[in-house]
Amino acid sequence: MAFDCVIVGAGPAGMSAAVTLAEHGVRSLVLDRGAKAGGQIYRYAASSPLPDPSKLGPDYMSGAALINAFEACGADHVAGADVWHVGDDGRILYSIDGETRQIETREVLVCPGAIERPMPIPGWTLPGVMTAGAAQVMLKTDAIVAENAVFAGSGPLLYLVVAQYLRLGVKVAGLVDTTPRRNFLQAASAAPAALRSASLLHKGISLLSEIRRAGIPVYRQSVQLKLLGQTRVSGLSFYSNGLQQIEADTVFLHHGVIPNPNMTRALGLDHVWNEDQLAWHVKTDLYGQSSIPYIAVAGDGGAIVGGDGAHIEGRLAALNILMRLERISPETRDRLSRSPVGELRRLSQFRRFIDRLYRPSDALRLPQDEDTPVCRCEDQSVADLRAGFQLGARDPNALKSRTRCGMGPCQGRQCGPIVSDLLANWRGEHVSDVGYYRMRSPQRLLSLEELSRFKTVSSLQPRAREASR
Amino acid sequence: MKTADVLIIGGGIHGSSTAYHLAREGISVILLEKDYVARHASGVNAGGVRVLGRDLAEVPLSKISMQMWQTLDSELDADTGFRSTSMVYIAANEADITTLKQREARMNAAGHTHERIIDQRELRELLPYVHPSCTGGAVSQQDGHANPYRSTNAFRLAAERFGASIVEGTELRNLRRVGSSWIAQTPKGTFEAGTVVNCAGAWADKVALMIGDNVPLNHAAPMLMITARMPHFVEPVVGAVSRQLSFKQFENGTVLIGGGAKGFAERAANKTRLDYEKLANAARTTIDFFPIMTRAAINRMWAGLEAYMPDNLPVVSPSANAENAFHAFGFSAHGFQLGPIIGKVTADMILTGQPGFDLSAFRVDRYDRKVL
Ligand SMILES: Cc1cc2nc3c(=O)[nH]c(=O)nc-3n(C[C@H](O)[C@H](O)[C@H](O)COP(=O)(O)OP(=O)(O)OC[C@H]3O[C@@H](n4cnc5c(N)ncnc54)[C@H](O)[C@@H]3O)c2cc1C
Repeated sequence: MAFDCVIVGAGPAGMSAAVTLAEHGVRSLVLDRGAKAGGQIYRYAASSPLPDPSKLGPDYMSGAALINAFEACGADHVAGADVWHVGDDGRILYSIDGETRQIETREVLVCPGAIERPMPIPGWTLPGVMTAGAAQVMLKTDAIVAENAVFAGSGPLLYLVVAQYLRLGVKVAGLVDTTPRRNFLQAASAAPAALRSASLLHKGISLLSEIRRAGIPVYRQSVQLKLLGQTRVSGLSFYSNGLQQIEADTVFLHHGVIPNPNMTRALGLDHVWNEDQLAWHVKTDLYGQSSIPYIAVAGDGGAIVGGDGAHIEGRLAALNILMRLERISPETRDRLSRSPVGELRRLSQFRRFIDRLYRPSDALRLPQDEDTPVCRCEDQSVADLRAGFQLGARDPNALKSRTRCGMGPCQGRQCGPIVSDLLANWRGEHVSDVGYYRMRSPQRLLSLEELSRFKTVSSLQPRAREASR
Repeated sequence: MKTADVLIIGGGIHGSSTAYHLAREGISVILLEKDYVARHASGVNAGGVRVLGRDLAEVPLSKISMQMWQTLDSELDADTGFRSTSMVYIAANEADITTLKQREARMNAAGHTHERIIDQRELRELLPYVHPSCTGGAVSQQDGHANPYRSTNAFRLAAERFGASIVEGTELRNLRRVGSSWIAQTPKGTFEAGTVVNCAGAWADKVALMIGDNVPLNHAAPMLMITARMPHFVEPVVGAVSRQLSFKQFENGTVLIGGGAKGFAERAANKTRLDYEKLANAARTTIDFFPIMTRAAINRMWAGLEAYMPDNLPVVSPSANAENAFHAFGFSAHGFQLGPIIGKVTADMILTGQPGFDLSAFRVDRYDRKVL
């Protein structure tokens, strides 16, 4: 027996979709590798290991409400289900308890979320260099922090993590802000529309002033960032009002997020290049329906919309799926969609403002030195890739075959966007003509034993259900 | 219109090798490739370079090809990644040993001695981590592996150095004979040549039809998976006499697992889909024979589009119905190793009419006559 609807990813998009489906009597199956629902943004929001999780901010705490609604809605949530394949035939494979399970479903909603945009500055692969996202995972999951770290880059997530650190009383060696001056001008034109989301705007501004008030060194319009150290990071040098240097054992980099392409690419969904977000988006309609009608995408995995946007997109995708399953009429879908669609529009105006303000500079998006590593798994530098290109590998996949760039355990997540951009430069063409790696499942490493224990599941075992309670 | 002496369709290893062997003799060559060189089987295969276990009809070609592999890097001034590691077929039981002995008798009668039967002790010396119950096997000393993408491009780059023109992203759509010329239509213009060679892999039946030959070619998608790096534990390429087992460990520590299981092929869309349940079986077989692989971490899985003939033997042959047209396709999942020699033989067929081998088993019309 096939499932009606399987949702991959229990972040805000997946959770809100499950709640909406349940409101109309469809009990979905929700798979997520996490031990708890919540996704990246609401990770452990309802069960934090921190003594006072409210220090992580009201947004984080509001996640607890959605998590509670989700857990009460009756959807079957399988925690610890690490989905490593979604097929265009509606088959899904996941690992759990050291085994592989195969299920079939009529409708799939994929909510794989975002990954952080790689920031290939010299030394970015040194031990001790991490992303702001990693800082958050450590904080939310295990209440682990790094004392005296430097935070470098730009964007809301970076400032949020710095603010969260400061509220918890963790010493921060400095914030090296790379937002270029011209972005403020570019963003200004989108500001009036964004003002309609005044509360969001206010949230952003208050984060920055909170950081300033805390008195840590804040360097603006920083350029020419270089990580220092031979075998591990010892600090960061950059220009901001002259040459600066900060010593630190840990440097957190971040300059925005992009949709995690691996699952939607492996599925063969159509993607389009988005110049505002400098990223590939999954091509969908208003309801997240992809180029394969029974596969929908919601949340940051399709295009960056943020936690609030993901919440709404999950609801819209669910309404469309309900219509496709003939649980509601097209008219009902349209009527129920009106208000979320309006909300999403307002949010997207704010998003445009953010996109312009925190648009990463080319100098940080593309490695500037020939010996900067591009692929950390296979240790391939710009020069190595250029040599491969000169031997005729003009396509990202050909370059991968030639140099092994993208073949390592991160499965191209780190180098994929950089490789396409480099090739676009070298070919003198636009990145949308160059394309991207041809991705394949699995989306994670899996042991031979895990794969060999292969079971097709047509309904949930009672134990899996219990585990989610 | 661009013209050349010879027009080759397909930038796999056979088209590229043919281009090299012709260009080296001063022949002007244009090669059309609809995607990019080594995009398909030739660039994504398991890289196995083996004589072991081949059909008797292929053995003479395969043996010479194996000699060519030993010095290919210096001949092409390239790094194909070829390593002569030897290859072992494992006998799981006495029945397998019997199979091997029967084969040995046939091979010896034909004068071939490159496959040698080994006992349990030697098997364990060669493969210290093999399951202790395995009883013996066969070994072929010169066999090994190479990097498929680099090998195919090694021929391509060498051909270009001799003046061949390799035209990528250009699909042959229509081919006709006008007077003594072949006129080839593509979305990127027209090409003209006196002689045409069909090296179009999984699409070769379509090109054969344009030439005027009908062949019962099938296409399928054999699957592979590769692990993350792990400590070195095996030197030879490994196969089994009667089970779908096949793997090799590269110098970087990754282990490539094949076994011949097939996924789903959609050649019109350049697409393959994997059959994960079959890959799960391959995983189980691998663990059965090599318990050390239990915890190996699979990093990537894929499949390639390959051309199969009903008898699993290739077509290497002049056209049956047209002048100055030749075929080299249908390698049925073991054509990579033959790359060096097939280019040479095809060039010889074109230039002298004397391939130097008995190619009767590979005739393009071998099924025509049987049907009638
Ligand atoms: C997964 C897998 C594993 C394998 N493992 C091994 C192994 O270990 N050892 C071994 O010896 N062999 C192996 N093989 C087999 C080997 O890869 C093939 O037999 C060999 O590469 C075939 O080469 P080819 O040049 O005939 O075909 P291809 O490499 O497929 O090249 C044919 C080319 O023709 C092009 N083409 C087709 N039609 C047109 C057209 N109309 N116009 C222009 N271009 C066209 C195609 O795009 C393609 O690039 C394996 C194959 C696969 C798929």
